[in-house]
Amino acid sequence: MGPLYPQELLNPEYNLLIGFLIGIGFGFILEATGFTNTRKLAGVFYGYDATVIKTFFTAALTALIGLFLMHHWGWIDIYKTFYPSTFWIPTLVGGVVMGLGFVVGGFCPGTSLSAASTGKRDAWAFLAGVMIGIYGFIFTYKTWWAGLRASGKLGKVNFPQWLGIKEGIFIFLFVVVAVITFVLYQKWQNHWKTKLTKEDLDELGL
Amino acid sequence: MKKTDKIIIALLVLGGFLTLFYPDTHPFRRVISQKELAYDAALPSHYIPTDKVAKMLMESDPSLILVDVRKPKEFKKFSLPGALNIPLDSILSTKYEDMLDQDVYTVVLFSNGSGLADQAWLVLRSYDYHGLKVLKGGLNAWYRNILHPQEPDATEVTSDAYKRYLFRKGAMYYFTGIRPAGTSASPKPAAAPKPVVKRKKKEVTGGCG
Repeated sequence: MGPLYPQELLNPEYNLLIGFLIGIGFGFILEATGFTNTRKLAGVFYGYDATVIKTFFTAALTALIGLFLMHHWGWIDIYKTFYPSTFWIPTLVGGVVMGLGFVVGGFCPGTSLSAASTGKRDAWAFLAGVMIGIYGFIFTYKTWWAGLRASGKLGKVNFPQWLGIKEGIFIFLFVVVAVITFVLYQKWQNHWKTKLTKEDLDELGL
Repeated sequence: MKKTDKIIIALLVLGGFLTLFYPDTHPFRRVISQKELAYDAALPSHYIPTDKVAKMLMESDPSLILVDVRKPKEFKKFSLPGALNIPLDSILSTKYEDMLDQDVYTVVLFSNGSGLADQAWLVLRSYDYHGLKVLKGGLNAWYRNILHPQEPDATEVTSDAYKRYLFRKGAMYYFTGIRPAGTSASPKPAAAPKPVVKRKKKEVTGGCG
């Protein structure tokens, strides 16, 4: 059946409209679950709030399992979805830069937009930084970053192929790792909860 | 642990467990069966007409990549504006992999006729490259249609054919800088009969399209 747009079951105009509606819903839920609170987001790095890690793992696993099973049930053609090539060095560098920005600024790009729309001034400053980064990268794309962009090329690969195991086994192991991470993190968080008083929590806005 | 946490964990573990019983998908590189390749090759949809390429060039469409698959010597003599030269024997070189094996640009392969470009298309398609097009009729058609457009026969001219001719005359001026003959005069020949407006029956399309 799917994906709808590459098979022209849906007009590109509707594609944009659906993207718009999903975007509104996404922003709304980010705000509703407290993702526009920098202290809640940064909490994942200090160990007093597990929301971010839970959300990210759940999203990744839902997509992973969902896409895999739906492909086998004939609901979506996985070969018609976009599959990018891997360049591990720039990905690593980008990940470190993004993570640092996350710890220091307290937002990831998506949540900064949500928070900016609620009028938080630090989110506006964060967004200005994002824009400087984007435009800076655009204008130096061909000159400064040509070497880095092309480094560490692995082509189109995925983990099961790299490890030489079946895709199903990899997915299952990934689920197990995620659950273990979650349980361990919960313990760390409980350890924190005993240290933080109610006033501390109120101050953090949790 | 909250109740919702437990439910979500249970669902994820169940889903992960189910995946153990299914074969691999290899989403990154599919092995194309001979049957599928033959079927794809027989479909005319991987040909792109010269008029469309001319239009994209005139509009400076950033999504267009023109790839000349002839020998460098021929490429130097004449090629399309902005075209890259990737000779057929090096088409699978890793140097060009990123450019050819992607879903973002419209990559148009061309040669003098369409033989070489067809071969290149077949080789790349068998490696499961997507979205590649072949210039219909190759440079010969380009020369015939865009660089030397012929006025349609006055006795059986249709509005479509005439519009196409006008577009090609404009394209010729754009690509060669030569003003086509008769443009300063009335563009419509006086003897031409009233163009027959054919109402094309709309093709049946799926969905709400």
